[in-house]
Amino acid sequence: MVTLAGQSPEERYAQAGELYGSGDYSGAASLYRKLWEEGYRSRDLLYNAGNAFFKSGDNASAILFYERAKLLAPADEDIDYNLQIARSRITDRIESVPQLFFVRWFDFLALLTSTNTWAVAALVMFLAALVLALLFLTKARARGRLLSFWLAIAALLFSFLMILLALRNNNLVNHNKKAVITCSIVTGRSAPGETGNELFVLHSGTTVTVEQELGAFREVRLPDGNKGWIRSDCMEKI
Amino acid sequence: MKRITTVLVFLLACLAAVAQEVTLTVDAPESAVAGERFRIIYTINSTDGQFTRPKFDPSFSVQGPQQSTNRNVQWINGDMKVVSSTTLIYYVTAGTPGTYTIPAAQFETKRVTVSSQEKQIVIYDGDSSQQATGRQQGQTSAAGDAPASGSEVSMRILLSDRDVYAGQPITGTLKLYTRINLSGIQELKLPDFKGFLKEDIETPPLRSLDNEVIDGVQYGTGVIQRFVLYPQIAGEIRIEPAEMTALVQERTTAARDPFFNDPFFDSFFSSVSTVPRKITTQPLTVRVRPLPEPRPADFHGAVGSFTIESSVSATDAKLNDAVTLTVTLKGSGNLNLAGEPVISFPQGIEKYDPKVTVRSSGISAGSKVFEYLLIPRNTGTFEIPPVSYSVFDPGQEKYVTLRTGGFTLNVTGTPGQEEGAAPVYIPGEDVKYIGQDIRFIRNGNGRLTTLSSPLVASLHYWLWFALALFIALLVLVIRKQQIRRNADKAGMRNRRAAKNARKRLSRATALLKSGKKEEVNAEVARALWGYLGDKLRIDQSDLTREKCYTALRERKADEEMITELDRILTATEYSQYAPVSEVESPAALCERAALLIGKLDNVLD
Repeated sequence: MVTLAGQSPEERYAQAGELYGSGDYSGAASLYRKLWEEGYRSRDLLYNAGNAFFKSGDNASAILFYERAKLLAPADEDIDYNLQIARSRITDRIESVPQLFFVRWFDFLALLTSTNTWAVAALVMFLAALVLALLFLTKARARGRLLSFWLAIAALLFSFLMILLALRNNNLVNHNKKAVITCSIVTGRSAPGETGNELFVLHSGTTVTVEQELGAFREVRLPDGNKGWIRSDCMEKI
Repeated sequence: MKRITTVLVFLLACLAAVAQEVTLTVDAPESAVAGERFRIIYTINSTDGQFTRPKFDPSFSVQGPQQSTNRNVQWINGDMKVVSSTTLIYYVTAGTPGTYTIPAAQFETKRVTVSSQEKQIVIYDGDSSQQATGRQQGQTSAAGDAPASGSEVSMRILLSDRDVYAGQPITGTLKLYTRINLSGIQELKLPDFKGFLKEDIETPPLRSLDNEVIDGVQYGTGVIQRFVLYPQIAGEIRIEPAEMTALVQERTTAARDPFFNDPFFDSFFSSVSTVPRKITTQPLTVRVRPLPEPRPADFHGAVGSFTIESSVSATDAKLNDAVTLTVTLKGSGNLNLAGEPVISFPQGIEKYDPKVTVRSSGISAGSKVFEYLLIPRNTGTFEIPPVSYSVFDPGQEKYVTLRTGGFTLNVTGTPGQEEGAAPVYIPGEDVKYIGQDIRFIRNGNGRLTTLSSPLVASLHYWLWFALALFIALLVLVIRKQQIRRNADKAGMRNRRAAKNARKRLSRATALLKSGKKEEVNAEVARALWGYLGDKLRIDQSDLTREKCYTALRERKADEEMITELDRILTATEYSQYAPVSEVESPAALCERAALLIGKLDNVLD
């Protein structure tokens, strides 16, 4: 497979789709990954990358890309379905502690659109609130004075909510603490370095949360709440 | 007639014998063990003559000869050929070890005298002989299927191949070799053939021994057991020795009458005892090579050379009538271990596990028949896919994929008809999920967005909020000032309304005194309108009676006042067009207007 330097990202994206269709899954996966590394993003790109990795047998990378796709499209049913299948093929089965329902809802809401969309919407809402407030304060005897007051309050609250959503989205997408284990087997220790007591053994494809970083080691939290130190090169951040 | 023929034959035989060249051969072992008996056999292709025995070494105790003559008459294409021979067997026992020479024997006919070759024989000591034979045995077992020439009774496992692929069948034979009389065999213990799957071949019980000459030594041989081995694991696999007890007949030569010092009488007069002797085979190793990887998905363990064919009992079937798909695997190889082919039958056809029959023809050859019973449960056309079955061919050293053709099955019939009174309830059928896989990729428009920096992380985004707030505050402040200014103007007018009105009224009074009666009314009207405009905050241009009345009523003024106002305004307007005498005096009007403004001023703030 030869990729010409002059090809546009859209052409390469289409070429990866053709490779996938003809059964060259690892070729498609490397093309998709390259696009991702160059900074191109789309829900379908990440979803297709996950599929290509899954088909070429790399379940850990498949889970990684499905998780990334899920951050762009949390409500996409196909991504959820494929992620579930990929997860069923990995070794570790960890009972995860479920998130509180409002956190889950809030995150879902935050991921409905991009952080910048939320930010722009918040700004527009804030402007609307200001206009309504001016109306309320200046039109002394206008009939909709009361209405404009409540609308201004509502717009201000919405604007505030949207700012929170934009911040949350930015946190989830750009400052994600989650990582997927890529080594086929790795030991979690009680301290950074190779000397700490061995606490647990993880296999590729397991999703962990990075708590802190020290040198070449990261402290991770497992879905069931346990913590341990793992080598940084054995995981890839979502 | 018969007698004549016999005589004729005899005469002719004599003639033939005369004509033929006479040979004398000797057959003696090259080595023997001291104290053990061995045979020296002389064969002469003539019956007519005098045999002179050789001068055996004096340490040899010689018995015999056991003489037999043999005459064969053959007719080939009308020519008669007579072959006659005499065999003399001497039974010799050497007493002391050493190398001896058996001198030539002589045979003398009327015409010629022939002599045999001289033979060297090495007589071993009893113990060292066993070591020697043991060594010899080890060599021969490595070399091939020659038995241990030194021992009298031995047993060997003969394998058809000792370098095979896993699963490739090996034919094995357990063979007995003996140079002495046996009365039977006992306690055959075969090894457990670890790493192999063993399958016995039916072997007839050993009743008589065949004669076989190996390396010039005559053996009685017999096949004890035949079997087929299927190697299951790869590597150098060792086959442990087989064990058996042979019942050896041994003569006890004690108290022998010299008169009967002849082997011919041995069997009658010497006492024979049966001695059990344990014999074992040599351990063997077989090199089993693993099947090459990767194995095809449709490889189910068949190793050998095979062909496959399939047939179907009917291509047009009635609903719920059974159809049989027969797949036959034919050839030689490990048929018993060949797994069933995996056929993905179309949904809607009920499939049962295949009935497997193995028909063997010869050793590890034959055919294996897989019969799939299919019951179509839905009508329509079904494609029975071609069977693809991979086998490993050890001859070609690669996997060979065998294929059969597919079939099309037409199923006709009416559902539920065969049951007579069809039940009203038709059970629904759940959708069958027969596999699980991820969903396919999306090949929609490849609209890719580049990674953009988040706005919330940049300062200028937040500055926009501050700017918007600042502008809004600015607008608010300006607007408030404007409102305040406007409010001040109106308040001034309000406060000065009564004062202005009184000023106008006093001017009207002054006009009255100066005699300009016409202008008085207009001045009164102006005073009233001005007052109302200022007090009610209505522009002079918008001022009408109705607006004023409405505004007054809103401010809870008395109807009485409004009526009075109306009258005064009417009077002032009327007086402008009518003669002065007909209307009220302007002075009275002035007074009433002043009175009304005072009243209104109390009501209006």
